[in-house]
Amino acid sequence: MFWRVVMAEVEKNLKQFFFTARTLFWTLMLPLGNGLYLYFLYLPFAVKSVSLEFNASWYALDLVGFTLIGQLLYTFYTMMLLSGATFEREREQGTLEALFLSPANRIAVIFGGALSSALNYVWFLFGILLSWVAFVGVKIMISDFLALFASVVLSYLSLVMLGMCFEALFVYSRRGGMYATMLQEPMMFFSGLVFPLQAMPIALLSVSYLIPLTFGLISMRLTLLGAASMSDIAVPLMALASMTLVFLMLAAWLIGQAERKAKAKATLAQF
Amino acid sequence: MEARHLSRDYVSTKRSHFIGKKTASIVRALDHIDFEIPEGELFGLLGPNGAGKTTTVKILCTLLEPTGGKAFVKGFNVVKDAARVRRIVNMVAGGERMLYYRLTGRENLKYFAELYDVPKKEIESRVNTLFDLVGLSERADDEVEKYSKGMKQRLQICRGLINDPEVLFLDEPTLGLDVNIAKDLRKFIRERIVEEQGKTVLLTTHYMYEAEELCDRVGFLNKGKLIAVGRTDELKRKMPSGFSMEVLVTRLTDEALEGLRRLEQVKKVLTTAYEAEVEGEKIDRLIVNIDSDRATPEVLNCLSKMGCQVVSVNIRGPTLEDLFMFYTGG
Repeated sequence: MFWRVVMAEVEKNLKQFFFTARTLFWTLMLPLGNGLYLYFLYLPFAVKSVSLEFNASWYALDLVGFTLIGQLLYTFYTMMLLSGATFEREREQGTLEALFLSPANRIAVIFGGALSSALNYVWFLFGILLSWVAFVGVKIMISDFLALFASVVLSYLSLVMLGMCFEALFVYSRRGGMYATMLQEPMMFFSGLVFPLQAMPIALLSVSYLIPLTFGLISMRLTLLGAASMSDIAVPLMALASMTLVFLMLAAWLIGQAERKAKAKATLAQF
Repeated sequence: MEARHLSRDYVSTKRSHFIGKKTASIVRALDHIDFEIPEGELFGLLGPNGAGKTTTVKILCTLLEPTGGKAFVKGFNVVKDAARVRRIVNMVAGGERMLYYRLTGRENLKYFAELYDVPKKEIESRVNTLFDLVGLSERADDEVEKYSKGMKQRLQICRGLINDPEVLFLDEPTLGLDVNIAKDLRKFIRERIVEEQGKTVLLTTHYMYEAEELCDRVGFLNKGKLIAVGRTDELKRKMPSGFSMEVLVTRLTDEALEGLRRLEQVKKVLTTAYEAEVEGEKIDRLIVNIDSDRATPEVLNCLSKMGCQVVSVNIRGPTLEDLFMFYTGG
């Protein structure tokens, strides 16, 4: 029954999102603006590469690739935030009650929600890649494909689990949207999205290392652009794997709490 | 289905101003209610807005926790065995919510069928049968946002039946529907859901005629208290007299009402709102509970003496509305 609910959620959310062909078109076009913004951010400095220090080693990474990976992962993170916002819509249209009236597994419901946003992201991904390939080339340096695969899978998976936490948060509170918006800019800053982490004041680095996006960016940038091997990125991979588990458990706990609170305080129908 | 001393309090918080201190107050929505509904019965829970009807339904279908007492559906505790209860119940609420507007009617039903783990092979036929039942087959593949209010309500009924529930909660199902659609829906509930399929139904409504037409037994809920439960004919027998006069009058005064209440054959006089005028004068509606129809001339004389203008008179046996007013004191 778990997977039936997951697939039903995915189908429902995708059908609701891709309501018209115009939505599809703009989903492809939207990342273009963000990509151009990132590209022109560095253009006046006439730099071709970014020096990234990790694990006492220095990597010279292609600048375009550096920002491209930042955009890829940050867009995915935003999609996960948006998957939480779908529960706001459920609340408004009264379907949240219909959902909680059913015996459907609650974790399957939020997993389905996050997964549909992940699938939705595929369109954004095309948009991002198309826009970058069309404008500029990227110098890719891969030496360990397994390490790259592990980086991609764990980066995205940890963010999916984080997305599930956001969804549970949106069921828990009507202010979910506000909290999620408040997290956007700090996430951008602390994860090292637009600058290498060695530029970050040491006192703030501990915050960076609590964010999956930080480790996702390190491991994907190093394996795709810096020819890093599995042993080079073992620490960020382990961090991502641990965060995936922690966020999964947190999401399961949060959705349980959210349902209990909603039943005790009669908040499911409030919007 | 059973409720034992069921209570529900809501905490209402208020601030004196935008950044002022919060003060909390308790609102008792349900006050120790007890009732039992046998299998296959259509039970009506009646009461005005805010009486506690929806709160009762939400507790019984596991969407809300009681703050006191217990409730059981098919022997399962709605709090401790919530997961089991959810498998055998469903709920239809009045209004246009609880549906996905951007999906078609068919997509909505298929989605809910998956949530309820309806066997894959059965989904298509069950969905088609439900659309046939409510007469929506021709519009099944249109987006719900293109449906009329009545069509959305019929689709809600389909959603409520998608898991073939043993117990169905209908919370003001005809709210806002036009007369003909509401009538068809009532017929559908009585004939198809209760008589043909033998389901247990708890219907809440504040339309008394609806309950009178549909329910085997009714319960009157007022300000969170269940004040009477029984078959309508049994409850009617408890009325102090068998007749009611419905009198529409203009120029009604407090003195006229007092005069009526002093008459020997008059048991009770109630006034209700009647939003109409005749020759620019406001009409009031009186329900006068009398011993026998022989009291009619006396009542009309009294009104005439007090300067009231009688617009119309209707003498009838007591209705559920009279019963409700009798139990709640109007």
